[in-house]
Amino acid sequence: MNPIVESLYREGNPDAEAVDKFIQQNQFPLVEPGHVTFVYRGQAQAVHLRSWISGLDTAQPLVPLEASDLWALTIELPDKSRFEYKFEVEENGVKQLVLDDLNGVLAHDPFGANSVCQGYGYERPGWTLHDPTARSGSLDTLKIASRSFRDTREIQIYLPAQFRRNRTYPLLIVHDGLDYLRYADLKNVLDNLIHRFEIPAMIVALTQSPDRLIEYTGDERQARFLGEELLPAIAAKFPLLDDSNARGLAGASLGGVAALHAASRYPKLFGQLLLQSGAFAFSDLGRHKKDPVFDPVVRFVNEYRNTPYPIAEKIFMSCGIYESLIYENRSLLPVLQDQGMQIFFEESRDAHNWENWRDRLRQGLSWLFPGPLWMVYE
Amino acid sequence: MSVQIMLGPQTPHSNLKNAIDSLSVNGPVVSITAGWRDSEAEIDELQAAIGSPIEDLNLYHLAEELFSREPKLHALHRERQDKLLELQRLYRIRLTPGMTAARKLLRDKAESDLLRLEQRAAISQVRSLDRHHLRRISAIHQEFDRRRAEVLIPSATSLVQSLQKKLAESGLVLIAGGHVSVLVNRIRLFRLVDMLAQKPIIAWSAGAMVLGERIVLFHDDAPQGKRDAEVLDAGLGIVRNVIPLPQAKSRLDWSSRNRMALFSRRFAPAKCCTLDNGSIIHLQDDRMTYASLCSVITRSGMKKPVVTR
Repeated sequence: MNPIVESLYREGNPDAEAVDKFIQQNQFPLVEPGHVTFVYRGQAQAVHLRSWISGLDTAQPLVPLEASDLWALTIELPDKSRFEYKFEVEENGVKQLVLDDLNGVLAHDPFGANSVCQGYGYERPGWTLHDPTARSGSLDTLKIASRSFRDTREIQIYLPAQFRRNRTYPLLIVHDGLDYLRYADLKNVLDNLIHRFEIPAMIVALTQSPDRLIEYTGDERQARFLGEELLPAIAAKFPLLDDSNARGLAGASLGGVAALHAASRYPKLFGQLLLQSGAFAFSDLGRHKKDPVFDPVVRFVNEYRNTPYPIAEKIFMSCGIYESLIYENRSLLPVLQDQGMQIFFEESRDAHNWENWRDRLRQGLSWLFPGPLWMVYE
Repeated sequence: MSVQIMLGPQTPHSNLKNAIDSLSVNGPVVSITAGWRDSEAEIDELQAAIGSPIEDLNLYHLAEELFSREPKLHALHRERQDKLLELQRLYRIRLTPGMTAARKLLRDKAESDLLRLEQRAAISQVRSLDRHHLRRISAIHQEFDRRRAEVLIPSATSLVQSLQKKLAESGLVLIAGGHVSVLVNRIRLFRLVDMLAQKPIIAWSAGAMVLGERIVLFHDDAPQGKRDAEVLDAGLGIVRNVIPLPQAKSRLDWSSRNRMALFSRRFAPAKCCTLDNGSIIHLQDDRMTYASLCSVITRSGMKKPVVTR
């Protein structure tokens, strides 16, 4: 048992006042090197930790603590780990997923919010937070009447601070770009990394799909949209460096699939790829066992694994080791490496979520688009 | 000899106005902001900070124009830069094992004369490599100057003369930070070093770095990890025995005493001086006459406030 929980019982069963004090005086979950203890307070028939960590049971029971309304569960957790969770509370036969009321650290995604468990030694990187000394970039809007999709797409364009039309800039196109802004603090990250000269001042196009389960799964329309419509439209409106090494595609999960797929359809058009937790589903033999949504992904990844070829100059891949996609990413890695492309693969003690993707952006962006920090002393 | 003042970065707080007020300036103030490259002309904030007009020498843009007018000169310049880049790569190949060995020996805990001698020898090897690198760079610059002299370019000559005249008439020269290599190249290209040496100068960050005898690049907190400090080039040699270290607080790993000790011993007897926001050092005849908010790295890798005489 966690020593702090043990101390609650050192002088016998605690009364309500002692439990109140225990709750007020501690931060939850209780973190110690190598372990973390979750605590839930309330009346219930059963409480489970729901964490969606690959390799662990998706629901682990918390144990009621004697003579109190507390429940606790201690699990092993390597230092610097981070994952998201909820409690599943069962009362009167009804199960409900709830946030951890004792933990104020939350992560948001398009489906809502989760509580965040930060293992011993984890710290949110300073470069993801707003820095008042960093000049702020701005957001512009570009509307494109798409022939591929037969509708109009609205793209947000990040322009760096001190943007000048008489200069030329690298371009990164980001799938689920608005989610990257909302949930991965992409604007703070870009402002800060540019301010620190870790990446050059660059233009970032933020695309958002109305139906990513179709369009991001190896859809030829998406590749055509990026290569033949979006890129020329951005180049017509904004001053871009005319060099494939100064053009990149990025995405997480299915967005990573869409980025790799588009780059494969236009080899060397986009020299730099940032692929985070790419959902690179494949099958070595027989039919895959994933949702039918993945059918086109599997077709594309199988096709690429069978006949691989160089598609970009550099690829930064990242994946959390607590997500099942680590298998797919590790499997794709040697295939890409064998094509003579420069590959940087980063594994993190994290899962399939936006904060994992946020925390890897500095390494990824600065490796793909190195800034002049070695030479610049402002 | 004239006065030189070195400052740290001018953000978030500028101490440039105070530095100017400490001098009696006789003549117009000119600035060199070539390190800002494309933003060279954007001196509004600078003028607002000091509250008086400045004339910028526009060295970056003048060089760009000159290169587009004089393709032979541009080709020569490009050739030199490519050679320097390649030489830097080769230097790095030799530097990395030398620095690794020196660091390893400095980390060794044995208390023996044997170890001390090997530590000294390892540092001496790195110092010798740095000297060799500077000699090779100097040879490349000399070759460039010789070949440039063969290509008689009247427009370049008149440009150089007009810039030198502006400098001669100035009462104070401000040299801003930015891209250190671009900055030193542009000053050299227009042959302004001798004239600058005769003028009061206030220089900050990269501007301070180019005043010294050697330009040392460093960054211990880069995203792809620590790199060994590198000698990039000779500086203008206007200030001697000082290695200015702008943004030292964030760019150097002060938690590693061995790393800092190696930095100090590698460049001794020059003093490795930190220049953070608010720092100021006054120099005259190579003597530090006043310093505030700056430190030197000691032989043991610690910080010590700069002592002036």
